[in-house]
Amino acid sequence: MVSEFVFATAQYESGDWDSAPLVPANLIDSVARYTSLAVAPTGAIVALASDDLFRFPLVFLTGHLPVRFTEAERTNLRRYADRGGMLFVDDHNHDIDGAFHKTAVEELGRAIGPLAQLPNTHALYSAFFKFPDGPPNTSHELNGWGDNLVHSHLLAAMRGDRVVVLYSNKDYSSEWGYHPDNKRFLSIDNTKFGVNVIVYALTR
Amino acid sequence: MRSRADRAKGARRIRELAERVLRGVALAALAALFWRALMPPAPKAMSIARSDKAGLTPSLLRWTLDAPSAAHAVLDRAPDPQSRDWIAALARSGTAVSWSSPRTLGASAVVAEPTPEPYGATRVRLAAAGGDPVSIGDAAGLIDTLPRGGASELELSSVAGTIRASGATFTASTASRDSLSLRPVLVLGTAGWESKFTIAALEERGWRVASRVRVAPNVEVTQGPLGAIDTSRYAAVIALDSSAASSAGAIARYVRDGGGVVLAGSAARLGPVSALAAGGVGRRMAGVAGAVASSTPREGLGVFPVAAPRGDAVVLETRGTVVTVAARRVAAGRVLQSGYDETWRWRMAGGDEAMTAHREWWSRLVSAVAYAPLVRRASSGDVTLDGVGATDEAPLASLIDALGPASPLDSRLPATTDDTRMTRILFAAALAALLLEWASRRLRGAR
Repeated sequence: MVSEFVFATAQYESGDWDSAPLVPANLIDSVARYTSLAVAPTGAIVALASDDLFRFPLVFLTGHLPVRFTEAERTNLRRYADRGGMLFVDDHNHDIDGAFHKTAVEELGRAIGPLAQLPNTHALYSAFFKFPDGPPNTSHELNGWGDNLVHSHLLAAMRGDRVVVLYSNKDYSSEWGYHPDNKRFLSIDNTKFGVNVIVYALTR
Repeated sequence: MRSRADRAKGARRIRELAERVLRGVALAALAALFWRALMPPAPKAMSIARSDKAGLTPSLLRWTLDAPSAAHAVLDRAPDPQSRDWIAALARSGTAVSWSSPRTLGASAVVAEPTPEPYGATRVRLAAAGGDPVSIGDAAGLIDTLPRGGASELELSSVAGTIRASGATFTASTASRDSLSLRPVLVLGTAGWESKFTIAALEERGWRVASRVRVAPNVEVTQGPLGAIDTSRYAAVIALDSSAASSAGAIARYVRDGGGVVLAGSAARLGPVSALAAGGVGRRMAGVAGAVASSTPREGLGVFPVAAPRGDAVVLETRGTVVTVAARRVAAGRVLQSGYDETWRWRMAGGDEAMTAHREWWSRLVSAVAYAPLVRRASSGDVTLDGVGATDEAPLASLIDALGPASPLDSRLPATTDDTRMTRILFAAALAALLLEWASRRLRGAR
C-alpha cells in the first residue's frame, strides 16, 4: 500500500491565495487519468504557518495580489524547503513586473533562497511527458490578454540538485482553471505539464 | 699423662688435617665446577616464574639461556602477545611449559570492523567476562568504560591507531584492517513521498542510489546504474511496496547469492519474496497522533507488524508487543523486514533532529543487510602504514591456544628449583674452603 498523494493549496495571510479554485481538481483528474499513482480525489488547503504544511511535501501557491509572508510563514517555509518540501508557485497575472511577481520573488528569496532560471533541459521537463522546449506556453501568454508576453523559462530555488521552489509567470492558474470534464473539448490536454510537476516532486 | 708439647703437636696435626680437608673440599668443588662447565647437567627440575613481581621477562631470559625441562608460569593477568609467544617458543623448543593463575583470568575479546556505510565508521564489538570494569580507548585517549564488563558495541566515526580494551586481568587490542567495497543500493517503489524521501535520505547519507520508481503501467522514473539484480552490481535492494513484484524472483535469487534486501511496509507480501521475509505481514496499525515530533518518533508512524516472526528471525524493534522490524539470514544473504510505510512523515514533521535521524535509520537498515565484500588494506607484516601495530583480540583464548588450559602447580615438585643454585653452592664452598685453609695456614705461621 502506498499512501495517496494529496494535492495541497497554500493559504497565506496576505493576497488572494484562493484565486484558482478549479486548478486542484483539474490536476488531480490529470494525475489519475495518466498515471497509476494513488491520488486523493479532493485537494487540501494548508496554511503556510501551520504545522500541517509538513504533511504535504508539494504545495501549490498562487494569487494576483502582493504577497507578504508573516514571520511564522517565512520560518515554516524555510524549514519546509530544508526538509525536502517543494513549493510550486504560479503568478496568476502572467506579467513580468507585476505586484505578485515582485513581492513573491522577494519574499521567497528571503524565506528560502534566490530564484534563478531553470534550464529548459531540466529533468522536470521529462519527468513524465516530454517538453523538449521547456515550459509549455499558455493561451493567456499568447493571446489571452493580447500582449503576447511569453516567458521562456521557469524560475527555481534549489537545495543541492533538488528544486524546492518552482516559480512560474505563465499563469497556469488561469490555463488550468476549468472543470476537468471540459478537457474533452481540448485537442491537447494543457494540464500535462502539471502532471510533470507532480511526478517530479514525487520522484526527485 | 700427655705433656704440653704432645698436646700442641696433636692440635697441630688436627689443624693440618683440617687444612687438607679444606683443600680437598676446595679442589672437589672446583673439580665439580669444572666438570659442570664441561658437561652441563641435564636440567631435570621444574622452573617457576611469576608475573606479579618483576614481570616474566627475567625468567624468560633465564629459561632461554638455560632451558629447564619443565617450566611453569604463574600469571596474575593474561600475558602480552610478546611474552605469550616467547613462552610458546620455549614450549616448542622442548621445555614442558604449563601455566596457572592465582585468580580467574577474565575471558575477553574485542574486534573492529568497518561498517558497511558510506561514511566509513568503525564498529567495535567487545565482550568481557568476569564482571570487572573494562575501559576502551585508542591512541587518542579513553573512549568508553563498561563498569561491569559484559558485551558492548560501539560505532566510532574515527579511530586513532589500535583500539585497546583493558580490564584487571587482560588487555585486548584490535584494529580495523579492512575496508569495504560498497556498491549502490537499488530502491524499487511506486512514485510517492516514501520512495522520494527514502532515496533522498540514503543519498544524503552518502549512499550511491539507483532507483526504479513506477509512475504508470510500463512507465518508470529511473536513476543511477540499472541492470540485473545481482551482488556484483548492488549492495542491497529496498522493496518499498508492491511495485517490486515484477522483480520478486530476481530479488529471491539475489538474496540466496549473498545479497541483502530490505522489505518495507507490506512488500513482504510479494510472491517469492514472502518466503524470504522474517515473518508475515499483519494488519496495518496507525501511528500515535503527535508522536512523530516526540522523542520516540516512530511511534507516530503507521506500520504493518511483522506477524508471527519465523524461528530464525531476529527481532530488532517492537512497539509494545508488536514486532515492527525483524531480520533473518537466508542462504548467503540477509533479509530485513520493516513494517513502517510512511517514514517520510518522520523526516518532514519530526523534531529538529528528524532529518538526520531519518537518514541514519535508513542507512542502518541498509547497512544491516548490505553485501559488502572486504578489501584488505595494504600492510607490511604486523605494522600498517597507519601506525597500527600487532593486536591481541582475545588474550585468554590466545593463551590457551598457545599453551593449553591452565594446570595447577604440582605440589610434589619443589617450590622453586633453580639449575644455577648448585653452581652457586659449589663456587661458595670452594671459595670458603680456600679462604679458611689459607687463613689457618697463615695464622700458624706457615706459608
